[in-house]
Amino acid sequence: MSGYIEAQLIILCLSIIYAYGIFLPAASGQLNLGAAGFITLGAYASAWFNASTGAELPMWLSIPLAMIFTGIIAFAISFPILRTRGVYMVLATFAFAEVVSGVAINLEFVGGAAGFPVDDHADVTVIVPVTIAVILFSFYFMSTRLGLSLRSIHDDESVATLFGVNVRTSKVVAFTVGAMLMSLGGSLYGHHYNYIEAQTFNVLLSIYILLYVLMGGTQTAWGPLIGATFFAVVPEALREIAESAGLKWLAEGRFILFGVFIVLLMVFRSEGVMTRTLQDRLGGGLFRRKKPIADDMAGGS
Amino acid sequence: MLIIQQLVNGLMLGGVYVMVAVAFTLIIGMLNFLNFTIPALFMFAAVLMYATMMGHLPFGNDLILSVFGTEYRWVAGIIVALVVIALVSLVIERFTYRYMKAKYGDATEHALPLVSSLGFLIIFEHLVVSTWGSDPLTATSPFGQGTFSIDTIIFSVPQIVSLVLSLVVVVMLSVMLKATKLGRALRAIAERPDTAILMGVEVSRIVPVVYVITGLLCAVSGILFTINYATVDAYVGDTVATVAIAGMVLGGLGNVWGAIIGGLFIGMLEVMSIYIVGADFAKLPIWGLLLVLLVFKPTGLFGHTLIGKGKF
Amino acid sequence: MTEHLLEIAGMHKSFGGLKVIDDVSFNVRRGGRTALIGPNGAGKTTIFNLLTGVYPIDAGTITVDGQDITDVPPQDRVTVGMSRSFQNIRLMPHLSTVENVMLGQHARARKLGDLLFPLGMLPRNRWRQAAEEALENAGVGTYPGEIVSNLPYGVQKRIEVVRAMVSDPKLLLLDEPAAGLNKTETNQLQELLERVSDQGVTILVVEHDMQFVRDLCDYIVVLNFGRKIFEGTPDEVHKDPAVLEAYLGTDEDAAEAENAS
Repeated sequence: MSGYIEAQLIILCLSIIYAYGIFLPAASGQLNLGAAGFITLGAYASAWFNASTGAELPMWLSIPLAMIFTGIIAFAISFPILRTRGVYMVLATFAFAEVVSGVAINLEFVGGAAGFPVDDHADVTVIVPVTIAVILFSFYFMSTRLGLSLRSIHDDESVATLFGVNVRTSKVVAFTVGAMLMSLGGSLYGHHYNYIEAQTFNVLLSIYILLYVLMGGTQTAWGPLIGATFFAVVPEALREIAESAGLKWLAEGRFILFGVFIVLLMVFRSEGVMTRTLQDRLGGGLFRRKKPIADDMAGGS
Repeated sequence: MLIIQQLVNGLMLGGVYVMVAVAFTLIIGMLNFLNFTIPALFMFAAVLMYATMMGHLPFGNDLILSVFGTEYRWVAGIIVALVVIALVSLVIERFTYRYMKAKYGDATEHALPLVSSLGFLIIFEHLVVSTWGSDPLTATSPFGQGTFSIDTIIFSVPQIVSLVLSLVVVVMLSVMLKATKLGRALRAIAERPDTAILMGVEVSRIVPVVYVITGLLCAVSGILFTINYATVDAYVGDTVATVAIAGMVLGGLGNVWGAIIGGLFIGMLEVMSIYIVGADFAKLPIWGLLLVLLVFKPTGLFGHTLIGKGKF
Repeated sequence: MTEHLLEIAGMHKSFGGLKVIDDVSFNVRRGGRTALIGPNGAGKTTIFNLLTGVYPIDAGTITVDGQDITDVPPQDRVTVGMSRSFQNIRLMPHLSTVENVMLGQHARARKLGDLLFPLGMLPRNRWRQAAEEALENAGVGTYPGEIVSNLPYGVQKRIEVVRAMVSDPKLLLLDEPAAGLNKTETNQLQELLERVSDQGVTILVVEHDMQFVRDLCDYIVVLNFGRKIFEGTPDEVHKDPAVLEAYLGTDEDAAEAENAS
């Protein structure tokens, strides 16, 4: 594998992991603009658990420990954060990420503003299998009754409650598990590049991850995979194509096209690329046991 | 004395944020959505002001030079920035709001305009990068470095003018909201969208007006930014937006006067804390406070909301 | 086993000083089909919302099957054996028909093992099969690639009833199930409800269609301005002066039904 392709693959894998972390709460309608915060927590925690100046644990222990650490923090803050709704939640998670970044910059034992070197190295043979595991886990998670509850909460919280769904518990679980996935992605980032600084995990990163998820679609587990792949691959591919074809304007302006695409997607397919109905239609016949019963009431009002 | 000087500088910096914070708060109050085209419009206006003044527009430089001469090209800059931003605002309204009718009333529908507005942010930033490059662009101020001092505190004339101007604009805006027919319609929509429609407020006509108003607020703010700080780039909106959002949250979402006080306060706090403890440390207390406010007192520090939170 | 499955005693509810439900008491006989009727704004849907815990009640008690559920939180009330449909269809728009019905099973699947069971991955699991069968029994297809809100109105109404039924309720609360249905659809719905009732499920229905009420129900409670003004059999209700006064000139449907009888 060429170095260039490998580098792109790593970026793609990390984007996918981050996106699933944002997707799980988004599937229940919670918009989390704090991805950078949880990624920072994971990256720094794993780096410290791993570092010779820290706990000196091997990477395979430091990463899960970082996930648990992030999970505990996410669980604790999920209760106040989930009091907020809509645009308030977007802003509160954004504020949380800024707070985390502010803390990381000021902690001298993890390097402070100068950044923090990470010891153990995770190469593509670690990151790709972990990414596949994350994808499979997310598909499983969304296929469970808990996943069904999350999707119901997204659609109509009060009706979900009346059918026995414990709305708050479900939301807390989605938020916490999502944070742990982002933590995993953050640790892998640190162990791959072997150097982290809080400024890398900025609001732009949070925005892009939320965009992957909303553009891919929040209804099925395909959404983040499609969204992240599309975002990570298409601009890069466009650059390659444009440069080899000598289209300088396209290479430079590809992000303009990209922005136009986002705007148009929201106009024509506002629920994202992949929806539940599209999934059913594509997978039709595969899981369908029998044809829909001919319905004599189909002509009703 | 240095502290007072820093306070003055902070107040001036806050003056730039104020209008952006008011723009954010107006859109959230009226349409219940966090509009990320606001930093884009701010930045675009600042860059247009620079480009017109310095003769770096993609076209029309000679025409402007022949009409205004080198001396008054800043006037042309103001006109170009205001007109372009007003037109662009109408386009943005079409694509972030007009097609985004709630279909199912589910929990993520309110995010659709947010996503489109991020699309616009990307478009404008890269439009500027591909036209003018990503390096900082430096303009020469048409007013020189006029300063005067009281005792030992130095005041910059353009900064004072900007601060006064932004306060005047915002006061006019809030008078407009209170006293005019348009203002009453706007508030009716913000407070009781359903009733407003029943009462015959034409929502489809009012929303573009809101967009143009907020667009012009951003434009004025961006123009003043170029005049004061002389250096702009494609990403200048992002930083300003972060601070303006902080000011808005502090004042309570949808509260115009809250946004003004919040914006000025955050500006001063920023300058002061950089002066006292360093820029990196400042983030923590500011955003910590905002997080607590958002969760436990979402109406902001002043409690009462001038224009309510609503959506159509 | 008590004779009455549902007992409402001295129920009060005010919204902002306005008394919406004022000292309402009535019982619903086990296995019976009771109708709750009254002019618009009488508080019928509010009673459903109070029963299912959408709002807490100000005073009074609600007893289901001998268990006082007044303080039971809304998400747990369905496990007591009470399930409902809605006046305005409230199916989940982004869930498939089968998934909507599987949501109805939630009350019976709240254990961790059930919550983590991959419903969507195993196409022939018992929950999915049960949901498909319930739909089939009600004469509704599964419409896999469709958006539920695009299905015909009558079909959506029946899906709501099926969704409420699969939670295995002792008491089924139906809020205007026949509203907006044509004659054929109404008859089919009535047939479905009669079958449900024959299985031993107690039905409490809010309905404006008096013909439907008379055909389906064996007991009627009448509300007006948040107060109970009558309870008795369908035959008695027409003779009651208070009911006539509440209805005449205020509700055309009822007046028409009156003329027709």
